[in-house]
Amino acid sequence: MALLTLKDIGKRYRQGEVEVQALSGINLEINEGEFAALVGPSGSGKTTLLNIIGGLDAASHGTTQLNNIDISALKEAQLSDFRLFQLGFVFQSYNLVPVLSALENVELVMVLQGRHKKECRQRAHHYLELVGLKEVMQRRPSALSGGQQQRVAVARALAAGPRLVLADEPTANLDSENATALLDIMHTLSHEDKTTFIFSTHDPRVMDRAERIITLQDGKIVNDQEHHHEHSDKHEHIN
Amino acid sequence: MTTAQPEFMSASVVSRFPILLFVAWRNIWRNPVRSSLTISALASGLIMVILYASLLEGMTRQMVHFATDISTSHMQVHRQAFIDDQDLYATLPWSYLEKIQQAHPSIQVSPRLYAAGLASSSTTSTGVLIKAVDPKTEPDVTQMLQHVRHGKLNLDIADTTENGVQRYNLVIGAQLARNMKVKPGDELVLVTQAADGSIGNALYRIAAVLKPLEPNFDRMGVLMSIEAYQQLMYLQDGFHELAIKVAEMKELASIQDTVANKLKQFAQEKSLDELGGKAVVRNWRQLSPAVADLLEMSKAFVFIIGFIIISLASLGMLNTMLMAVHERTHEFGILLAIGMKRRWLLLMVLLESFFLALVSAVVGSLLGLVINDYFEKYGIDFSSAMPDGYDWAGMIFEPVMKGYLLPADVFTASIMMIMITMLASLIPSWRTVRLKPAEVMR
Repeated sequence: MALLTLKDIGKRYRQGEVEVQALSGINLEINEGEFAALVGPSGSGKTTLLNIIGGLDAASHGTTQLNNIDISALKEAQLSDFRLFQLGFVFQSYNLVPVLSALENVELVMVLQGRHKKECRQRAHHYLELVGLKEVMQRRPSALSGGQQQRVAVARALAAGPRLVLADEPTANLDSENATALLDIMHTLSHEDKTTFIFSTHDPRVMDRAERIITLQDGKIVNDQEHHHEHSDKHEHIN
Repeated sequence: MTTAQPEFMSASVVSRFPILLFVAWRNIWRNPVRSSLTISALASGLIMVILYASLLEGMTRQMVHFATDISTSHMQVHRQAFIDDQDLYATLPWSYLEKIQQAHPSIQVSPRLYAAGLASSSTTSTGVLIKAVDPKTEPDVTQMLQHVRHGKLNLDIADTTENGVQRYNLVIGAQLARNMKVKPGDELVLVTQAADGSIGNALYRIAAVLKPLEPNFDRMGVLMSIEAYQQLMYLQDGFHELAIKVAEMKELASIQDTVANKLKQFAQEKSLDELGGKAVVRNWRQLSPAVADLLEMSKAFVFIIGFIIISLASLGMLNTMLMAVHERTHEFGILLAIGMKRRWLLLMVLLESFFLALVSAVVGSLLGLVINDYFEKYGIDFSSAMPDGYDWAGMIFEPVMKGYLLPADVFTASIMMIMITMLASLIPSWRTVRLKPAEVMR
């Protein structure tokens, strides 16, 4: 049974006088523990699809199910709870609350979940250590590099114990070295925690780290294949 | 480390309150200059309201002081006809003096008599209001006789003329002295219609000039002893007014009831003549309704002026919060995306406004208390321009305007400021509730 199932997802919106078909006929299944990349050129619908999966945007039609929960049927407050407990997010940049330290940023989601303070602190320490930020966890985001900030965001997303982590071009503002390092961290943690990752990118070096590459073009999935970067052998998925 | 789901999804906003408080407190200091300017504006508004309330309270206390301690005393007893028409014959019997004094152990009483007349000096004549007091008991009920500006208070016999006529001393109002160009030591002739219908007249010596007490007395008042009055007016039967001072103002109402009941009892024992009407006891609020009204109005003044000042100051808060919310839409989008509920976000932004208002209230109150201390000690001195003080709305005010701050006024003004600024911050807070995370993060 797939963790995430998208059935016939379509998204239309108006941009001034023009109606834009952002997504159409998206059918997709993601299994637990997958490390999948959504790729495609700008405007292909990657972010829109991630937003729909994350309940940040509503599809014009179709259904989205995560862990047997129909996201499209959830009300606003239920969606908040759904995001809080089931999902982790890593965005392109400015992911963190500037007035909180790295440690406090990681703790924040867990505190909002209602976890005990001691547990929040332990988990935050653990995940910041895993992403290699043990020494700088008391620093605020302004005192961290872009790569460090993204690693804090990854630690925050994972520390909350989500079923699925959505990352929208997490390496877009990072240099190659940092981008690769971040992807490696995400990949390692996804295996350790058995957490499912879907991230969007159009950077070929980042795609190379993915185990499954879903290619979008003009709002449609045009290719979906497994990808073993060690051996570079690829297996086509049947949609 | 496991990824098990927590089991407290139904935890309320109460459990999240500490983290919202914490983030809100940090947020107000993310732009210290802007927050400091906002706090300065709100605190300045609060200081102005505190000082305004203090000066107004000082003025009203001065009014009450003049109305009670200087002139009226706490209560007065009159006949109804005297209240209605200043009827010369509407007197209370002298026996009432002792009876009322015995009505309650904690009161002091002093009788007074009134008449209208014409005063003439060597150069001018003018209509006057003659007031007779008992110099021995009057100090028990008011400080009127202590308010001497020139001369020395003395209402006894001044001297005897060559014809063997005794001349009494008088004390007159400050404005009357100026108008008649007389001073202590000068002679004054009073002419009036006596109680027996004859023309009463006598020569007096001015012993002293009083400081302004009340506008009417200041312009027209002539003060003499009851003995001198009785000789001038041939009115021996009784007195027009009994001034009563109570030991504790909080007992005023109960003592007024006691005196009223006693007056009824006296009338039953021996009825008063019908023409003069019944004896009536009134407290200082009833005797000086203008002062009582002004006291009530001053509370409304403080509220209205305070509301205007703080509303203007809270526009600064509105601007600050609008800018803060506008700058942080992306951040709010992130918070909504990671699962923060809209009502928590609304609460967090409201808490930021609350903290700004709270810090402003503390700073404003403390500074207001310090500045007020100066106003209470030294006041605002107008004596070089107005040595006699000034009269406003029929009341005399001293030339030094001093403050008197009630702790409740500081508390009320602070609460009002916090409430108004919270209301003002509802607009920017509401914007956060309407944010669509997918849009603001593009």
